Amino acid sequence: MAELSFPLPDLGEGLIEATILEWLVAEGDQVERNQPLVEVETTKSAVELPSPQTGTVVRVHGGAGDVIKVGDPLIVFGVPDDTAGIVGTVPQEQAPKRRVRLNAVLDDD
Amino acid sequence: MGRHSDHLVEGTDPGLNVGVHEPSQGTSVRPVLLIHGFASSAKLNWEDSGWVRALTEAGRRVITVDLPGHGMSTSPEERDAYSPSRIRADLLQVLQDAHVVPLATGRPASGVDIIGYSLGSRLAWEFGATQPELVHRMVLGGPGSADPLADFDLDAAQRFLSDGTPIEDPSTGDLLRMARMVPSNDVFALLTMIEAIKGEPFVPADVVPHMPLLLVAGENDNRARTLPELASLSGKAETLWLPGRTHSNAVTSREFKTAAIDFLAT
Repeated sequence: MAELSFPLPDLGEGLIEATILEWLVAEGDQVERNQPLVEVETTKSAVELPSPQTGTVVRVHGGAGDVIKVGDPLIVFGVPDDTAGIVGTVPQEQAPKRRVRLNAVLDDD
Repeated sequence: MGRHSDHLVEGTDPGLNVGVHEPSQGTSVRPVLLIHGFASSAKLNWEDSGWVRALTEAGRRVITVDLPGHGMSTSPEERDAYSPSRIRADLLQVLQDAHVVPLATGRPASGVDIIGYSLGSRLAWEFGATQPELVHRMVLGGPGSADPLADFDLDAAQRFLSDGTPIEDPSTGDLLRMARMVPSNDVFALLTMIEAIKGEPFVPADVVPHMPLLLVAGENDNRARTLPELASLSGKAETLWLPGRTHSNAVTSREFKTAAIDFLAT
């Protein structure tokens, strides 16, 4: 099982943060993509955020009344290892094993 | 999605942006018309808040409309385009274009259900009262018997917009803040709408809808304090207060959506 973390998405129009109104999922829930996850309120309006991911909810960040900044962690999903690499980046603790240098191949003509 | 109605109402094209959202499974039940609040839009009030998704997943066909000067509807110059009576006529045309037929006993596809929020609830109250043969049930969100738009201090708003003079009346200040918050809003069209509403203020006792109503508001919604007056005028209203919610954040509430869907399914 790999973990995928999703931040509070850009809500547009220069909004930099949102207040959590209510979580619609809980840790341990199996969630489908596009299923409603959480209600948040900005200075402009209240919004229901759909899930960007199918998976099991591992962690949610913040409870009702907490302010989350755009880009800060909102929710962490657990997904099977073989899908994690395809749908997103998985943070790895260890240093990369080798580096690949990309050389430009110069064309003569 | 989204089109401008091409039918003339009282000789002019209202230029309203209408959306029809079909449920994935098809449906044999009457559609639900959604009427948004002042300075909001079908997108803000009903799509981003999750209502369209919740209703279509519950098997309901959804009709949304942007009020004049709001969302993707046009902003006519003339004041009459914004009067509540004209908007009610436009809504009737929208329903006819969507092939809504009069209610008939034993025909669940006949008629229409309505969900309104704030100004949309006021418009729904009057629409339901004047179109009893079409409207089956209504859910009114954030409703009140007062009319904050008719009480809006237009002079103070215009002074503020021209030279920044602070607005004393908190309700006026709050409404103008909402009107200016959303970039798609045409503030001058919204002020024209307020003028038109001052000419036709909400007097709920004048016309009372007789179909079953569900009245829903946040516990901390100052604009809905007079909701019980609407309930007693109706005599057929259920009431739901949402704990901790305000006028601006009750709209996303899951409890609100679930109660509305259940109420309209009866």
